[in-house]
Amino acid sequence: MKIGIYFCNCGSNIAEKISSAAVAAAASSFPDSPYVKIVDFICSEEGKLQFEESLKSEQPDRVVVAACSPRDHEATFRRCLTNVGMNPYLIQMVNIREQIAWVTEDPAVATEKTIAAIRGAVCRVRLQQPLEKKQLEVCPDALVIGAGPAGMKAALSLAEAGRAVVLVERTPFIGGLPVRFEDLFPAMECAPCMLEPLMGDLLHGDHVGKIELMTMAELIEVTGFYGNFIAKIRRKPRHVALHECIGCGECVEACPATTRNEFNSNASERKAIDFAFTGVLPNAPFLMEEICIRSKGVECRACKDACPMGEDVVTLDEVETTVERRIGSIILATGAGLYDASRVVGMGMGTLPDVYDALQFERMLSSTGPTGGEIVTSDGTAPSSVAIIHCVGSLDEDHKPYCSGICCQYAFKFNHLITAKLPEVSITHYHRDLVVPGKEAHALLQHAAGNKNSSLKRYGSIKDLAVTHGSNGRLQVSATGDTSTADMVILCPAVIPAEGADRLSSLLDVSCDSFGFFQELHGRLDAAQSTLKGVYLAGACQEPMDIRSAMLEGMASVGHTLAGLQPGRMIEIEPATAEVDETRCAGCRLCVSVCPYHAITFDSERNASHINAVLCRGCGTCVTACPSGAIAGHHFTNEQIMAEIEGVLK
Amino acid sequence: MSEKPKLAVYWGASCGGCEIAVVNLHEKILDVDAALDFMFCPCLLDTKKKDIEALPDRAIAVTLFNGALRTEENVEMAHLLRSKSQILVAFGSCAKGGCIPALANFTTKEDLLRSVYVDNPSVDNPASIIPSGTTTFPEGNMSLTPLLERVKHLAQEVEVDYYIPGCPPESHQIWNVITAILSGDLPPKGSTVGCGTLTVCDDCSRTKEEKRITAFRRNYEFYPDPEACLLEQGLLCMGIATRNGCGAPCTKANMPCTGCYGAPEGISDQGAKMVAALGSVMDIGDTAGLSEDEIAGRVDAFLKTIPDYAGLFYKYTLASSILGGRVGRN
Repeated sequence: MKIGIYFCNCGSNIAEKISSAAVAAAASSFPDSPYVKIVDFICSEEGKLQFEESLKSEQPDRVVVAACSPRDHEATFRRCLTNVGMNPYLIQMVNIREQIAWVTEDPAVATEKTIAAIRGAVCRVRLQQPLEKKQLEVCPDALVIGAGPAGMKAALSLAEAGRAVVLVERTPFIGGLPVRFEDLFPAMECAPCMLEPLMGDLLHGDHVGKIELMTMAELIEVTGFYGNFIAKIRRKPRHVALHECIGCGECVEACPATTRNEFNSNASERKAIDFAFTGVLPNAPFLMEEICIRSKGVECRACKDACPMGEDVVTLDEVETTVERRIGSIILATGAGLYDASRVVGMGMGTLPDVYDALQFERMLSSTGPTGGEIVTSDGTAPSSVAIIHCVGSLDEDHKPYCSGICCQYAFKFNHLITAKLPEVSITHYHRDLVVPGKEAHALLQHAAGNKNSSLKRYGSIKDLAVTHGSNGRLQVSATGDTSTADMVILCPAVIPAEGADRLSSLLDVSCDSFGFFQELHGRLDAAQSTLKGVYLAGACQEPMDIRSAMLEGMASVGHTLAGLQPGRMIEIEPATAEVDETRCAGCRLCVSVCPYHAITFDSERNASHINAVLCRGCGTCVTACPSGAIAGHHFTNEQIMAEIEGVLK
Repeated sequence: MSEKPKLAVYWGASCGGCEIAVVNLHEKILDVDAALDFMFCPCLLDTKKKDIEALPDRAIAVTLFNGALRTEENVEMAHLLRSKSQILVAFGSCAKGGCIPALANFTTKEDLLRSVYVDNPSVDNPASIIPSGTTTFPEGNMSLTPLLERVKHLAQEVEVDYYIPGCPPESHQIWNVITAILSGDLPPKGSTVGCGTLTVCDDCSRTKEEKRITAFRRNYEFYPDPEACLLEQGLLCMGIATRNGCGAPCTKANMPCTGCYGAPEGISDQGAKMVAALGSVMDIGDTAGLSEDEIAGRVDAFLKTIPDYAGLFYKYTLASSILGGRVGRN
C-alpha cells in the first residue's frame, strides 16, 4: 500500500518547533514506508494546488496530512482528494499545530511527539475504507407546536410562502391564552376581535390548503435532523368532525353530563360535549370522554342523535390515533402559564374566596367568560374595593427571580377595565418595581395614576403582605404600616413556561434554562433559535413576552425556516455511521435505549438491532455500548482506533 | 489399549470444579474411555509426574489443562504437558483468563502471604514464618513451591492450541469438543471452542426490552420477575458481555450471569466492555438544572451500590484483561 504524508510547515507556526527533516527520516520506518512531502501552507490556494498535483503524480492509496486541527481544514483536504478522483475518506489528519507545536516548549520533544502521532495516523489510515456520502433532499415544510399568537403567525406566514405546515395544538381551540381575554394592553383592543383575522385566515384563508391543523394533539416522538425530521403526533379523539360541524350547539343541549370548565378557570359548568368557551375557534364542540356517561357504561347517543348535520359529525367511538409527518424544521410556540399563586404564602389563593389570579380574572372580565364579563364577588354583588397585587412570585428569590415583564401592564389594564365597568370602585395596586417599557405602555400607568379612586402602594417584600379574612365577610390586605379592606383581590403571578415544556425539551433534546423556558442558541444574536439545529423558538415559551413580541418571534422563526430550507436543496448524509453485524447481535437491545437520535430499532423477527443510516449521526455511543461487539462505527472501527493507539505507542 | 490416543486432564491453581464437570459427562465418560486412553488426572488417577516425564514428546494426544498458574510448580507442569501434548487446551476460565485465582493480582505476593500466614486472626505464628521455597524448622526443612509474582493464565506461559471457557465448562460443551477432537473436525488453532459466537442473551429466554436502569439491586433484596430481563430489573447480569454456549442455566434459575464464559468473540476486555455498556444505560434521572457537582454526586451514589468492581467485572478475566490488576507483569 502506498501512503503519502504531507507535512505542512504552516509558515513558522509548525516549522519553528517541529523538524520536518526528522519526521521525514523517521517515516521510512513506518509501515509501508510512506513518502513525505513538505509544504509551506497546504491550505493556501497554491498549497492545495501543490497537494493535488502531488496526489496526481504519486497516486497514493492513503494520505496523511500533518497540519492543523481537522476542524479547520479536514473538509478542505477531503475536497482535494475528491478533486483528484480519490475517495475523501482515505485521508487522516494529524493536528501537529494546536496539539503539538503550540503547546510544546522543547522542539526536540515536539518532534518526537509528532513522529509518534504521525506513525499512529499511518497505522490507522491503512485500515480506512472508502465511504460514499448519500444525498437527501431537504423537506422545506415545518411543524409548528402551539396555536397561540406566535404559532399562528408562524404557520400562516409559512403557508403564504408556499410551505406546508403542520400546526399542532394541545387544546381544542386556537388563539392561545389571549383569545380568552377581553381587552389587551396597551391599546385596549378587543382580544378575540384583534386575533380574529389571523384565526380566520388560518381556518379559511387563501392558504388553508397548506396548513394542517391538529387540535387536541401532542408531539410524542421526533427522529431525524434539520431538513429531515420525522414527527409522531398523537391525536386525541375530538369525537366531532371539524369540517362538517357548523357549531350550532344542538348536541350540547342534548348532553346529560356536566363538569367544570377548565377553560373558564373552572368558574363555570360545561356539558360533556360542549364548546371550550363561547365564540371559540374552530367553532365546534369537543366531547370529554371521561365525563360522558358512556364511560360509566351507560348507553347514550343523545348528542349524535341531536346533530342536524347527520350521522357522520359526532363519532362516539372515535379513538386516539398517531400520525407521522416529515418536516424540515420545528417551531416551538408552546407559550406560557402562570405560577401557582397558592405557593406564595399569605396571598390567600385557593383558601380565601374572592382571591383570583390574573387568568381567572381575565375570564371574569371576558364577555365570553363565566359571568359574561360582569365583575362580581362570590356573593354575587359588585365589589366596592379591589386590591391588585403585583409581583406574586416574580423578582423573588424564593420563587422566580426574574421579572415577568407583562404583569404591571395587564394590572393597569385591569384598573382601566374595572373602572370602566364600575366607576366608583376603589382600586389599590400593591407593587414592587413598576415595569412599563416602550412607547405605549405608559398610558395605562398614567391612567391608573390619574384615577381618583386608585392608589399605588409600594411594598418591599411579598412577605410583608398578607391577605386575610376581614370583617363583614370582606378581605383584609395588610402591608407594612397599612391595613385596608377589599372585596376582591387579584394576584399577578409570575409567568412560567406552559405545562409540558419540559416533556418537549427532553423529547426533542432541546435545552431549557433553569426556569424551564426553552434556551436560546444565543440570548441576543440568535434568540429565535433553540440549541438544536432546525428547532426554532417563538413566543412566551422562551421567556415572558407580550403579544407583539410573540408575533415578531413567530416571524423570526419563519425567517430561519425560509432562509435555511429551500425546496430542492440537498443535504449530505455523512457515511461515518454505525452498522450492526446481525450475525453477532445477541438481541440484548441495549443499543436501542442509548441512541440519542432514535436511529436504532429492534427487529424481533431477526432478533437483531437495526440502525437507520439516515438518522444515525455517527456519534459512536452504541458502538461503545454494544457488549457483544456487534456494532461497528464506520471510519471509527475498533481496529482503526487500536491501530492508531498502537502506532502512537510503538 | 495403548494404541488409543492419550487424554490428560491436569489442574493448576484450581478448585476441582473442572474435573467434576468432566465427570459430569455421566455415562458418556465410558465413551470417552472407549475412544481415548484417559491416562493422567491427579484428581482421579494415580499417574505420577515421573510417568509423564518418561513419555516421549507429543505422546499425549490431548491435555485439558485447567487452573491458573499461581506457583512455579504450575508453570513447570504447564511446560511439561506442553511438550508432551499434541493438543494443549486451556480448559475452563482459570486456564483461559485467570479467573478467581487471578484476583490475587490486586495484591503483591508478599502481602498475600502475610495475610495468610501472619495477619490471619486464626493463625498462631509468633515467629512470623512465611513458608515459601525451602523453610527451615526445628524438625527439619520443608519445601513448598514458591508463588509467582503474578497469577498468569496458561497462554501467558506456553503456547495454547484451544480454549474452552466456563467456570466450569458445561459438560455438554465438553462432549462437543471431545467429539470434535475425535472426528478431527477442529477450527483453526487459537480458537475458543465449546461455546457459541454470541452472548448469553442469545441463550437466555427472558424477554428483553429497551434498557434503562434506575438502580442496581442485589439478589437478596427482592424476588426477580421470572420472565423479564434481569439486567432491566437492576441485577448486575453480566450476560450481555459474556460469550454464550452455556445455555444460560443461571438466568433460568433467576440468578444473574456472573460472566464465567468470558468476553464475547472480538472483545478484548470483558470488564471494560461491561462497564461501557452499563455506563450507557444507567439512568441517574432528570439532571436539568443540576450543577456538575450534583450530577457527579448522583453518579457516585449510583456507583456506590456496586460493592466490588473487580470481583464483579473481572471475576473470570483479570489475568487476561488490559488492566491486569495492581501487580506488574514481568
